[in-house]
Amino acid sequence: MEELYKKLSDCIEFGKINKVSPYPPQMKDQDGADEITKQLLDGGASADDVLQKGLIIGMEKVGIKFRENQVFVPQVLMSAKAMDAAMKYLKPLFAASATARKGIFIIGTVEGDLHDIGKNLVAMMVEGNGYEVIDLGTDVKAEKFIEAADQNPGAVLGLSALLTTTMGNMEQITKAIKAHNANIKVCIGGAPVNEEFCVKIGADKYNPDPQGVVEFLNAMSA
Amino acid sequence: MKGLELIKKAMRLEDVERIPWVPFVGAHAGAMIGMTATEFLKSSDNLVKGVNKAIELYNPDGIPVAFDLQIEAEALGCKLGWADDNPPAVISHPLKEGKTIQDLKVPCACAGRISMVMDATRKLREQHPDLALYGLITGPFTLALHLLGTDIFMNMMMDPDETHKLMRFCTDVAKMMAGNYIESGADVVALVDPMTSQIDPGSFEMFVTPYVTEINDFIREAGALSSFFVCGNAKQNIEVMCKTKPDNISIDENIPLDFVRDIALANNVSFGGNMQLTVVLLMGDEEAARRDALTCMDIGGKRGFILAPGCDLAMATPVKNLVAVAELVHDEILQGELRASEATAMNIELLDLNNHWDKTKVVIDIITLDSSSCAPCQYMVDAVSRAVESFGDKVVYKEHRIKEMHGVQMMATLGVKNIPTIVMDGSIEFISQIPPINDIKAKITEHLAKK
Repeated sequence: MEELYKKLSDCIEFGKINKVSPYPPQMKDQDGADEITKQLLDGGASADDVLQKGLIIGMEKVGIKFRENQVFVPQVLMSAKAMDAAMKYLKPLFAASATARKGIFIIGTVEGDLHDIGKNLVAMMVEGNGYEVIDLGTDVKAEKFIEAADQNPGAVLGLSALLTTTMGNMEQITKAIKAHNANIKVCIGGAPVNEEFCVKIGADKYNPDPQGVVEFLNAMSA
Repeated sequence: MKGLELIKKAMRLEDVERIPWVPFVGAHAGAMIGMTATEFLKSSDNLVKGVNKAIELYNPDGIPVAFDLQIEAEALGCKLGWADDNPPAVISHPLKEGKTIQDLKVPCACAGRISMVMDATRKLREQHPDLALYGLITGPFTLALHLLGTDIFMNMMMDPDETHKLMRFCTDVAKMMAGNYIESGADVVALVDPMTSQIDPGSFEMFVTPYVTEINDFIREAGALSSFFVCGNAKQNIEVMCKTKPDNISIDENIPLDFVRDIALANNVSFGGNMQLTVVLLMGDEEAARRDALTCMDIGGKRGFILAPGCDLAMATPVKNLVAVAELVHDEILQGELRASEATAMNIELLDLNNHWDKTKVVIDIITLDSSSCAPCQYMVDAVSRAVESFGDKVVYKEHRIKEMHGVQMMATLGVKNIPTIVMDGSIEFISQIPPINDIKAKITEHLAKK
């Protein structure tokens, strides 16, 4: 059993989705996260053990490698996909308990800004780390963020902007959210944004990359 | 020296007498003539008018014709969202909406806005024969992302063959654009591929290197220069970018300039960048802009470096900030003064001048950049040397060049702010202007009377 957990965490770390997946080349024709998760559950492992002893350990390793510039977006996405493949077996088992998901993350590109690439990358990685992601799309107004936050108490909001001109909207939206409910956590990201701006507009966290968002969420839910 | 020659020299890694400067004006040039981004980026006449305004005010050595990475995507059927205060954004990805790579054709140079930018290039070429004109093309990886969206990251791993097919197509589009720009008169083709900042060097070598190398070869064979622009933190890829054999790489403030300089020069590639787009140029003042430019220039040096903003200038960047940079670039004395004042601000160690003064002689200190390279400095030193002749050994004078640390320390210790300056027995007497010989003599006499 222990060996299977180790194999599962390797599949997550290296992005091996299932047996037929050609990636990574060094794991060609080996079982992937899909098959191994099934084997573990068939062998009597609990869903929680599969999550804690296999998936989370693999994802944490990827997170460290990303932070240390050993892997980049494509590799982390593959890990996220491998995680997805395993989670499809675990989700029904978790349905009644809260362990199924670590939390809810609501993301959107701010009003006036139509760019979706950065937002999509963050959404995919956060989801791959076991969070439920509600993607509000691009050009999202303050009211829409607030409405989604109200419907999902405890969720963390993520605001994205690519343009210098929509940074102003990011500020207004953050202020509107905080005025509505100061307890809602707001994190921001995007090319023109930085730590200084985050402090200025009263957001809770600036993250320069998707892994930063994951770490912020982990810290929030810990 | 003319801008084009200076840029060519820098790209050939020859020493230059002045660091060349290329402001990346895109929609910002539209703002300079009171237009929205949409009005500006949809008309050849407006492009020419805006770029001309930027040339007039920013005195550049090179300038892009149009900074708009959506032109190829638009011609290939991506929908654009237009805005007043920004370049348009790609809002649909055709390969995610039912189209296949086989459905895509390299567009005719008449499609979308391609002919418009080529027309603007021809007009600007005619009007500015001595300026380096940059034709900007969308790099193949970024174009692939426009066409397919973020699925490309997965496809690279799951379906490498299909990814290569898409990169092949995007490379053909890039070569079509490069060829048209060169034919229209562009001197430099800038391949702008910001999305490559998101991938690792291994993926870059597999999916980007062969294609970008092919485009750079194509540009070289056509007799033009190539520059590889990447905005974003692409630190991991600087080495592999250089290996695609561009004439130049240009990066933004996410990557330390000295890091890029060392790798680029080791690979015999010139480099450019990386003034801070938002914090300094957009939100800062003239002083901050000048200091940022000077920092870049001092790191970049006079071999193989081109001063430029990190990426496309924000539309609302204050014109005065860029004018300040332009003035600094063309004024070596201003650079020296700023450098010295920064040294003062850095709390440099002041000198103990107790043994510097003399009870019987007037001591004259002349603070210069370097009298052998700065004309006003040279005239001031000459004037002093002639003025002291008649005083024999009653007067001693010395030039302090702030190109040397000791000169900077002397400047700070004496409280001198400008270059050149004449100081007598510790009191600042003449600043910047070269005084008539008789005025210098009169001052010396005054100081002698106090002995």
